[in-house]
Amino acid sequence: MRLRIGAGLLGLAVVALLAAGCSGDGAPSGGGAAQAPGAPSVVVTYPVLGAVVADLVGDRATVTVLMPNGVDPHDWSPSAKDIERVEKADLVVANGLGLESGLDKALAEAEKRGVAVFRATDHVTLRQPSPGEAPGEAAADPHFWVDPLAMRDVVLALAPALAAVGVDVADRAPALATRLTELDAATRATLSVVPEARRLLVTGHESMGYFADRYGFRLVGTVVPGLTSQGEVAAGQLADLRAAIEAAGVKVIFTEIGTPSSVVEAIGKETGAAVVQLPSHTLPADGTYASFIGQIATAIATALR
Amino acid sequence: MGPLLEPFLANEFMLRALLAGALVSIACAIVGTFVVLRGLAFIGDALAHGVLPGIAGALLVGLPGMVGAAIGAVAMIAGVNLITRRSRLSSDTAIGLLFVAMLALGVVIVSRSSSFAGDLVGILFGQILGTSLEDLAMQAVATAVVFVVALVCARPFLLLSFDPEQADVAGFPSRRYHLVMLILVALTVIVSFQTVGTLLVFGMLLAPAGAGALLAHRIEAMMAWGAAIGIIATYVGLLVSYHFDVAAGATIVLVAAGIFFAVLAGTNVRDHLTAARRGPDAPATGPA
Repeated sequence: MRLRIGAGLLGLAVVALLAAGCSGDGAPSGGGAAQAPGAPSVVVTYPVLGAVVADLVGDRATVTVLMPNGVDPHDWSPSAKDIERVEKADLVVANGLGLESGLDKALAEAEKRGVAVFRATDHVTLRQPSPGEAPGEAAADPHFWVDPLAMRDVVLALAPALAAVGVDVADRAPALATRLTELDAATRATLSVVPEARRLLVTGHESMGYFADRYGFRLVGTVVPGLTSQGEVAAGQLADLRAAIEAAGVKVIFTEIGTPSSVVEAIGKETGAAVVQLPSHTLPADGTYASFIGQIATAIATALR
Repeated sequence: MGPLLEPFLANEFMLRALLAGALVSIACAIVGTFVVLRGLAFIGDALAHGVLPGIAGALLVGLPGMVGAAIGAVAMIAGVNLITRRSRLSSDTAIGLLFVAMLALGVVIVSRSSSFAGDLVGILFGQILGTSLEDLAMQAVATAVVFVVALVCARPFLLLSFDPEQADVAGFPSRRYHLVMLILVALTVIVSFQTVGTLLVFGMLLAPAGAGALLAHRIEAMMAWGAAIGIIATYVGLLVSYHFDVAAGATIVLVAAGIFFAVLAGTNVRDHLTAARRGPDAPATGPA
């Protein structure tokens, strides 16, 4: 009998494996740009950065994005296939500063084995949250992607890193940099309808710092303390936030991925501020960085004008 | 055979993950069998979560997470011991109390830190796909220690699991060996959390050993079954994670739990068939 159950177990395993094997040869998921055979492969960790990298390399490399669009990076855990993509990549483009917390060990192992890893936040002027913005020790802010000019710095630094793995984008990088400069100007124009006194941001977690610094907004506070969506709401901090919202006359609270909606609703009711969704981590349907920034700027301009 | 072996042969990280999972499985099968037999699941769960504030605190001040986990586990065991000795309260009350207190402390520590919070997912679910050679060495040492201690303490542990009073009579103070057993559970949790995470090590502690206890009667056989099931679960879990593009650690534990329920169903069918063959008058054996 014991043997028979053992055989049953084995059978179960084999069935599971066969089922697994059948679905194995699907096309790689994520936002791909080009399918040139034998083209170098560039793996990007999250969709917003992936859109920019795909734009930069055009059809000279295959771009694969690991995280699905719209997922909270802190809730994401890689599959074995994802790690294979990382290990086989010619270049991995990551954000750094703890955004890919589920990937850091595997990324370090891949690096040890000689995989080239480009961390975008190594190439931007980092912003430290000012005291009182985030509790605890000051950590650098990873959310550079909401600032087109910081993204331009990354693009210009990424071009030589791509060249080092045989992807020459020397002609494409300046063109993209110019478009990012224009995007910055367009964003400024969109936001010009917001008067100085209303340039106040209350967001889900502290994700809009680079945007605020660039476009002259003031961060009044966040619902969840800190730079990640994983913080816990503290009573004292929430009371401070409410006081700050009322003192500054904030009319709108922006929520994001991973913001506890019940808390936001409660603060909105108490202070009379409207609650507006801010797509600060999600690519829009057309999958371009320009419409990602445009979508944020429009949401803010519409809500605060 | 391609899709069954190729992912492992072509990827060193898959082999390292399989090896780490196998070592975790062996340690968890040995310790888990005692956990299942002696009914220590609750304190195992409490230890798996109670180490959280230790890890969070250690990472906050820049110590290795394992040191913090050890401190958390010692605090947990000492606290349970203190409450049960100094009051008439039963140990499950003590365990439950410390469990929530430690978990709450962990969340409070995490909420005070702006940078560290992202690692919480890593602590709970581990990063088996990022297993380094140092992790493997550490896991191998821990598994060897668990194996040796279980071998040396085999007799008192066995008595403790089936008949605690008999253990005292035979000259093995049950209190002391109970503590040794708890320390082994703690050691397994502390070392394995780096690989499969604190949440999932608990699953690996219970599901394979539980299935083993259903399949065998002798304790060595239970452990062997447990280890085999744990290793199969790791292998199948990694393959499913590879081919279906899903998170690895959680898939491994899901497969282990799935095997447990398959074994439960299998043994129930077996018992019914045995009872039926004996005829309607014979008393039914096994769980109804």
